[in-house]
Amino acid sequence: MSTFKPVLTEHIHQKDCHTLSFYKSIGGYTALDNVLKMNPADVIQEVKDSNLRGRGGAGFPAGVKWGFIPKDINKPKYLINNADESEPGTFKDRLLMNKAPHQMLEGMIIAAYAIGCQKSFIYIRGEFYKEFKMLEMALAEAYDGNILGQNIFGSDYNLDVVIHRGAGAYICGEETGLIESLEGKRGWPRIKPPFPAIEGYLQSPTIVNNVETLSCIPHIITRGASWFKSIGPEKGPGPRLFCISGRVNNPGVFEEAMGVSLKDLIFDRAGGIPDGKKLKAVFPGGSSSAILTAEEALDVNMDFDELVEKKTMLGSAGVIVMDETVDMVQACLNIARFYAHESCGQCTPCREGTAWLVKMLTRLVNGGGTPKDIDMIFEITDNIGGLIDFSKGSFGKTICPFGEAVAWPVRSFVEKFKDEFLAYLPQEKVVA
Amino acid sequence: MPLLKIDDKEFQVESGTTVLETAEANGIEIPHYCYHPALEVVGSCRMCLVQVEGMGKLQVSCNTFVGEAHPDRKVDGKYDMVVHTQNDLVVQERKNILEFLLLNHPLDCPVCDQAGECYLQDYSFKFGNAHSRFEEEKRVRPNEYLGSQIVINQNRCILCSRCVRFTQEISGTSELFVEARGYNSKIAVLEDKPLDNLLAGNVADICPVGALLSTDYIHKNRIWNMEQKPSVCQDCSVGCNVDVFSQKNQIFRLTARENQDVNGYFMCDIGRYGFHRFEEIERVSQPMARNGESFDVLDWDEAIQRTADLIEQSKDKTAGIVSPFQTNESNYLLGLMMKDTLGFLPPITGDEINYPTGFRISADRSPNLMGMNDVCGKLEEDFSSIIKTRDICGLYVLDDGVDRELDDRWKEILAKMDFVIVQSYAMTELAKSAHIVLPGLAPFEREGTITNDKGRIQWLRPSLATEGDSKPDWEILMLVRNALDKETEHFAGLSEVIKKMSEQFSSYSEISLFKIGAQGIALNGKNT
Repeated sequence: MSTFKPVLTEHIHQKDCHTLSFYKSIGGYTALDNVLKMNPADVIQEVKDSNLRGRGGAGFPAGVKWGFIPKDINKPKYLINNADESEPGTFKDRLLMNKAPHQMLEGMIIAAYAIGCQKSFIYIRGEFYKEFKMLEMALAEAYDGNILGQNIFGSDYNLDVVIHRGAGAYICGEETGLIESLEGKRGWPRIKPPFPAIEGYLQSPTIVNNVETLSCIPHIITRGASWFKSIGPEKGPGPRLFCISGRVNNPGVFEEAMGVSLKDLIFDRAGGIPDGKKLKAVFPGGSSSAILTAEEALDVNMDFDELVEKKTMLGSAGVIVMDETVDMVQACLNIARFYAHESCGQCTPCREGTAWLVKMLTRLVNGGGTPKDIDMIFEITDNIGGLIDFSKGSFGKTICPFGEAVAWPVRSFVEKFKDEFLAYLPQEKVVA
Repeated sequence: MPLLKIDDKEFQVESGTTVLETAEANGIEIPHYCYHPALEVVGSCRMCLVQVEGMGKLQVSCNTFVGEAHPDRKVDGKYDMVVHTQNDLVVQERKNILEFLLLNHPLDCPVCDQAGECYLQDYSFKFGNAHSRFEEEKRVRPNEYLGSQIVINQNRCILCSRCVRFTQEISGTSELFVEARGYNSKIAVLEDKPLDNLLAGNVADICPVGALLSTDYIHKNRIWNMEQKPSVCQDCSVGCNVDVFSQKNQIFRLTARENQDVNGYFMCDIGRYGFHRFEEIERVSQPMARNGESFDVLDWDEAIQRTADLIEQSKDKTAGIVSPFQTNESNYLLGLMMKDTLGFLPPITGDEINYPTGFRISADRSPNLMGMNDVCGKLEEDFSSIIKTRDICGLYVLDDGVDRELDDRWKEILAKMDFVIVQSYAMTELAKSAHIVLPGLAPFEREGTITNDKGRIQWLRPSLATEGDSKPDWEILMLVRNALDKETEHFAGLSEVIKKMSEQFSSYSEISLFKIGAQGIALNGKNT
């Protein structure tokens, strides 16, 4: 085991860790105080230098994203904190909001200052009522403490933060779907270009960052980019919250350095598989990542690039563990059903293809499958999400990556556990 | 300007032009559904995917903008962008998208009104697979009324969202929206806010498939049975360009014809369904003369002679009445014949309606008020006093068939007359009181020019054959004029009337049907 010491969750077990007074007692908001004396461009450079990559799923470098904000533009700029956390198997942001709301808020204010934003939003998943109340309380404390509002800490910087509760759609976690929803419209992701950094919320430059990403910011400012970069792989460094669920003895959120081995996470931190069962497969980064077989899972580190080499992704770091008792066909249908239900319905392949997959898998599960169906699943998933060809950089066929999010896991189930799918075929129809 | 290569053709295009626009303008077909030039680009149907060199995935051509590439990044050293619309990848992708669109689409083309002008049908034939690989149950949903004249066949809908964007962006009324999510998505309205705005009919026009249907046209005909003729709407002084679809001299529907200087891509429902008015009118199709309470049928020679005789007998005591519904040429010829003694039938007015993106319905609901004022010389506003001061005893009315209540002033005038000659296609109140009725042409039969309220002259072309013995209005007027004075011109055709008219009025100088063409021209030299 590494000598990693938790950064983001260091204090979450302490009493009243969510309060402003506690946060200040452990040195909270000193980063902000320093930042307000800095040039915004230097703040962006520091975050760029840290190689901090987005914790929401796509893993885009946060500092680079901030750098896309046009410099000389006479429009308001917006920072949106994406707290929609809707990826199955992911529950880290709610922990951060519950236990360290001021850490996130400080990150937000620093980010807002860096990009020249004076009005910022927290788009929080509607089901997170407790977290919503927690954030309301944190905001009230911050306004009282001159941390938000006019002339923050006596500087000439002003910032207001508004909390907006989502109405329960997975797709509103996609940044442009989120922006549409925030504007009061249907959560349909927008076609790009223009990208949100150029034309986002109300056609103005907008940055959307995840809760965990923002929570890293104060630490980068306080301890420096090189400290951050020294944690884990240089190209994707930093502390990371791993959510481990499914067939493990001790499920939960565990903070580890980037690049920790998946084996350690499952068998050490999460206490291994119950009842002495064997590991069968793992989603390494939420349900939209392609699954890894037990063999693959035991030989991989949780690093952006290494998982891409294994044709899957780190995503939201939601590790879902499946043991030998799991019926892979049923699990695959479950995943397909979830995505068919959550498809926004805008793009043809995703709207039609997800429903087709569900109909076909349901028929298969009910004993009506034919050998040709198995091959059709490959074709349908490829037509929704594009071939998994990482050498080309991007692969999608739809406006947003939802197409890939359904295609890759479903395809991986069939690819890696084909025998189980074949076993569902009526016996007389199985021809070699 | 950036150099774009699409397949093997090169185009110099303005920076910021999309690949789809360039292809469309140059006759390269890129199939598409959700893209409509008047509506915001959403890029959701994925039908217009093309391959752009240097980009990892296929791009939607509706949202792929051509720009100046960095000198080091030009393809083959000179192209700013190279696009393939025909290669294996693109051809296969079109098949994939069509397969998805057809999964739940019924194969009911034989009973679908859109068949023959359906983009799903056409693209399936051109780009799709011949067989379906879908073995599941198709989704079946009931038809629904979205408004009093628009019905949706939910099974045929491909969710391109053109209709939704139309009500948001063009009519500004936002009645339509997408309900539910994903596979369950469907076009819907709120119960208390149906799709009943005056532009509603356009959604059936812009629907690329047979989902949105006008109840006025549903199951009445097939596209291949009908003749399609370009025309101009005559229901207000905007003069929207339209196509008239007819079979066996019966109109079945009107659709908007694109004209960026007049109506864009759209028309209003007043004009769209206005043709039904003419189905119920009592038509005049033979020359007639009064005989007590009824009329005797005359032949044309006699009718013209008797008309000329009546005017001759009361020389200088006959007045002409022109109409803002008649063509420039007819109004002009009556003016020539009657010199300075001209009145006009009252124009029809309504509410002026302006829509967010510039489409409008004029308060002046007569198609040619400006033209009438332009080509008739001096028109008497106070006609009653002219009658008195000049001792007028006869009227030659170029009637327009409009169902007007004649006010007391008009009734008084008519009662004073020794004779009234009415040139009309309909048995109007005026025609009923006439001594001689000369049958002219109905709005969809006549040809001529009309001038809209922005000073744009447009060519009104005949959509239907003339009925009975009716003659073009300009020809009747010419014949009467010739009968009155053998020295006057005999015009061999409409163009000769236009030539004479253009010589007389400087704003109409050098006007010809050829120059007016399908899109019209602005009289002030500027496109309006």
